[in-house]
Amino acid sequence: MWTYEKRLQYPVNIKKTCPKTASLIISQFGGPDGELSASMRYLSQRYSMPCKETAGLLTDIGTEELAHLEIICAIIFQLTKNMKPEDAKTAGFDAYYIDHTAGIWPTAAAGIPFNACEFQSKGDLFADLFEDMAAEQKARTVYENLIRVIDDPDVLAPLKFLREREVVHFQRFGEALERNKTKLDEKNFYYFNPEFDKQMA
Amino acid sequence: MANRAQLLEEIQQTSFQVDELTLYLDTHPLDQKALDAFSQAKNLRYQQMQNYAREFEPLTTYLVCPDTNNETGSFSKYPGQRHFTWSDGPLPWDNQGGI
Repeated sequence: MWTYEKRLQYPVNIKKTCPKTASLIISQFGGPDGELSASMRYLSQRYSMPCKETAGLLTDIGTEELAHLEIICAIIFQLTKNMKPEDAKTAGFDAYYIDHTAGIWPTAAAGIPFNACEFQSKGDLFADLFEDMAAEQKARTVYENLIRVIDDPDVLAPLKFLREREVVHFQRFGEALERNKTKLDEKNFYYFNPEFDKQMA
Repeated sequence: MANRAQLLEEIQQTSFQVDELTLYLDTHPLDQKALDAFSQAKNLRYQQMQNYAREFEPLTTYLVCPDTNNETGSFSKYPGQRHFTWSDGPLPWDNQGGI
């Protein structure tokens, strides 16, 4: 079960309306490497994870990703809050505005709606942990792409925090991968699926 | 009177210490120094959360106490009345305050 805490993990205080910026950042809500995809990936994978500590790590990181999703949505909300009709016509936000006004809906920056096919839950420890590490790297790349094209320091501060979290999560998943290897045949880690073939020590 | 923004910032900082140490301890469960830091941050956070609930509003439902209605009356529709304090306070994503 989860408990809601009525605060953001990192504060968001944006003073300048900018729907164009919102239309780029929304990718980290509903895009292929976004926070919704991240949380659903880890929270789905944990059930069949044979190593209890790795399942725990997936729970904790998956939970933090939910807090990141909330930060991203807070950024989009504040960037579009006092939008006037002429602001809504800004290239990049006009099409979104027609369908959602200033409501928050998970989509990629390029307009592709959120889709569960953006992540995997493979039921194979190594396949899943390698996917998780790649996902953290890809999300870091997206944050860097955003940071390069955004000027507003109020928007940059939470984006930089979120980028750093991708680096830390990559590190922790890497450590989990190494710990799992010590429980397997060191001559052939990747020969079978340790979740299904039950050969873990 | 305590400063709302300052107390919330302190909670954010201490909570981040707990969250960061949790992930570290998930993969280093025997690190004694990290265990001490975790206990220290966790205890401080508990005090800060209780203090914030007393001064302003609860940040979780587990800290709701109808009889500790915030005396400041800030962000409350029912100042001075015994009420469900969970709805007091600003929405976390809204920096300009809602209705």
